[in-house]
Amino acid sequence: MIIFRLWNLIRGYVVINITNTNYEKIINLLQRNKINLWDIEKKEVGISFKISYDDYKKYYKLMKDTKIETVKKTGFALKIKKISLRRGFMAGIVIVVLCFFFFANLVWNIEVIGANQTIAKEIKNVLNENNIKMPSTEGSLNEKHIETLIHKNFNYFKFVEAYVEGSKLIIFVKEKELESSVIKDNTPSSIISTKNAIINKTIVKNGQLVVRVGDVVYEGQTLVMGIVKNKNSEEFMMVPSEGTIYGKTYYNFELKEEKLKTFTNYTNNDKKVYYLKINDKKHKIIGDTEPFENYNYSERTINIPVFSNITNISLLSGKYYEEKGEEIKIDENAAHNNMKLKLYDDLLKMCSNDSKILNTSFNFEEDDNYYYLNAQVEIVEDIGETIKIFPSEAIEEDKENEEIKED
Amino acid sequence: MKLNNFRSKLADDLEIPNNVVSDNFDMRIHGNKKVIIENHLGITTYENDLVGINTKEQTILIKGSKFKIEEINDFKVIIKGVVEEIKINSKE
Repeated sequence: MIIFRLWNLIRGYVVINITNTNYEKIINLLQRNKINLWDIEKKEVGISFKISYDDYKKYYKLMKDTKIETVKKTGFALKIKKISLRRGFMAGIVIVVLCFFFFANLVWNIEVIGANQTIAKEIKNVLNENNIKMPSTEGSLNEKHIETLIHKNFNYFKFVEAYVEGSKLIIFVKEKELESSVIKDNTPSSIISTKNAIINKTIVKNGQLVVRVGDVVYEGQTLVMGIVKNKNSEEFMMVPSEGTIYGKTYYNFELKEEKLKTFTNYTNNDKKVYYLKINDKKHKIIGDTEPFENYNYSERTINIPVFSNITNISLLSGKYYEEKGEEIKIDENAAHNNMKLKLYDDLLKMCSNDSKILNTSFNFEEDDNYYYLNAQVEIVEDIGETIKIFPSEAIEEDKENEEIKED
Repeated sequence: MKLNNFRSKLADDLEIPNNVVSDNFDMRIHGNKKVIIENHLGITTYENDLVGINTKEQTILIKGSKFKIEEINDFKVIIKGVVEEIKINSKE
């Protein structure tokens, strides 16, 4: 019944009142003419019923003869008929619908999944440089081309997938995992020194220790050897070395800091300039170029949505900030602290994380222009590095393999 | 009349719907709320408490209250309301 009512609502129907007392006769007359009547209700005087708008038009003459009163005409078809007369309104609706479909078909932004913000920004820049700009139509985006582009520009991705989802271009990336530097347990290896140092402490779990506490070792020198003599026989066997060798290392630093430093301060003056950018060529519209003697300049592109993508025309907004240089004398304590901070920063880059400082000696000097710091830092740190040992047979096999490949 | 009875019997024997072959009306009642009559010839009376339906050989009188004809066409009529009594009178 609901479908029947809905269908009539779409087609349009007419509500009719009959005030005649002989209404049964009229109902029979109409139904014999194959007019479908529904919702017949008894009123105080006569009845009211509904008929479809098509039947009403078809048997209008018959209705007129029976002297009935049309109360209401409703339905979607009738509304459309009325609306169709308002051409401007209809044109507006058509334009809105077309715009809706057009804009819904556009891809508005890029979302990078699996990379941090900096890399995501780099990916977007690469796409932008290769004329993949947003918004653009779904059809103009070639996912395979985008994937190839990212693979070419970023070596550290092992997996790239690009696909359009709704109004977004999703780029899913996965970075290559760094190869583990840990040598497998069963691989024969030795531990060598990475720095010139004096041996401070040795902890060896596997392998043969070839240095003692207090020995001076040089970079590359073997500390723990992976070749051990078999207890039961005279033969030597290769084992994986495992252990930690701590050594005292000394770092010398020479740092200097200027007594007078020039700082640039922004005055509150700034001036704007606007350009019209057509195919990478700038045409000035408003404003002066280089309005100040000392300035800092920043520029940003203003894309006109859709239009810029189609025509490659956009606006450029530049801003000149006036700068003023000012010489400031650096305080002696501040300079010393600065140099110390620099020293520790450099030291952190040179040493491993579990290093300990044993002694530091600072010597501050100054002349007319600079403060100087001569420092020596004594550190205890892990100086060992595990390297693989290749048996001579294996080396020969490798060589043979290489020769075969060359052939 | 006799032909109609024969057709009705034939429909029963062949196990096909009676109203398809004969001129007999088909009436279905949903509780006391709705009456559907097929093979009718029109309405004889329609009031809030009484509806009269004409068929080929009988007239049906439905008594009750709040009657509303939900749908009527040349094949079926659907009457809604509170049905209290249904009376079938032969024309002869």
